[in-house]
Amino acid sequence: MARRRTTTANTETSGTTGRRNPLLLAALALVVCAAGAAGWGGWQRYEASHDDAASFARARDDALAAGEQAVQNMNTLDHKALEQGLDSWEQSTTGDLHRQLVDGRDDFARQIAEAKTVSTAKVLSGAVTELDQRAGRAGVMVALRVTVTAPRGEPAVKESRLLGTLTRTSGGWKLSALGQAPVGSTAG
Amino acid sequence: MSSEGATDIGPGTEADVALDPGHGSEEAETRAPDPEDGADVSRRRWPRVLGALLTVALIATGGALYAEGRQLRDTPATANLALTDAEATTRVTGDVSSALSKVFSYGPGATATTRAAATEVLAGKALQQYATLFGQVERQSADQKLTLTTEVVRAGVTRLTDDSAHLLVFLDQVYERRGRAPTTASAQLTVVAELREGRWWIVEIGST
Repeated sequence: MARRRTTTANTETSGTTGRRNPLLLAALALVVCAAGAAGWGGWQRYEASHDDAASFARARDDALAAGEQAVQNMNTLDHKALEQGLDSWEQSTTGDLHRQLVDGRDDFARQIAEAKTVSTAKVLSGAVTELDQRAGRAGVMVALRVTVTAPRGEPAVKESRLLGTLTRTSGGWKLSALGQAPVGSTAG
Repeated sequence: MSSEGATDIGPGTEADVALDPGHGSEEAETRAPDPEDGADVSRRRWPRVLGALLTVALIATGGALYAEGRQLRDTPATANLALTDAEATTRVTGDVSSALSKVFSYGPGATATTRAAATEVLAGKALQQYATLFGQVERQSADQKLTLTTEVVRAGVTRLTDDSAHLLVFLDQVYERRGRAPTTASAQLTVVAELREGRWWIVEIGST
């Protein structure tokens, strides 16, 4: 009741004699806390987007996905859709490997057209063995099942172990080298 | 509500309403301690409404940013520690590689050593699988004087958490029969390993 009479002026929201309105203080504290929460949230968000481990993990998964897809593309070819197949080979590669494919394209297309084979591939498993984010290079290993169907005879199914090197380009990760994992080099 | 003073009879709100008809009930709702006149009250309410809105907006912003940050950080990609935890990756790759070379290498007279080694690196389903397989191998090895040497060509971690790992392993297996040229076979395996008592144990072996 006493407070009611001391606060008559419009501008005054609290007591004039140092007796502050506890409600106002609480409200101010709440606003400060809220500001703190916003700041903290912002900091967390900033940290997350600059988290090296997170971006490394993303790059690793991107590289693996691109690598597996590229390896599968490179082992898929239908003699009835040669141009389309070889285009996909070229799109999956970069650097030396890409150059080799472009240079050898005509000869290879002729061979496949004569052999009339259809190759399909299925990735069984794959892993990234190394990743250098700065250099934009990654090493992948892929276990692959390739089925080659010739005009005559049963389809040949072969499992192969492939080692590939990926290079990051403006169009994503692409294969710059691909080969069979050497057999007998370690203990032969 | 405001139950100040001895004049209040019963609950504070009722007393206020009785004293200030016209503003009382409204004031009681907004907890204003000083009901003076209508214009005054609405002018006074502005800072409070603004303050409340500001508070809510700030908290909501903070929450939204935090949630966004969590979303960026806690993805399936970040849950997989393969390569991101380089030390753990190297360790599990090394442990599993040496375990595989050990359990898939044997000489004609030394299958017992291999079998004993297996119980130290294999566990669970992998140990059962191995026991079945190795029974046949032991007989053949004794009959044909067969030596098998297994070398890991390349091992990669597909998925790694604090205590479990999935790996893809490329192996070369060299068979030697006495008096014949050795033959090399290539193989690929998927392996599941678990960290138990500070050591990686192979708990499952599958052909890819």
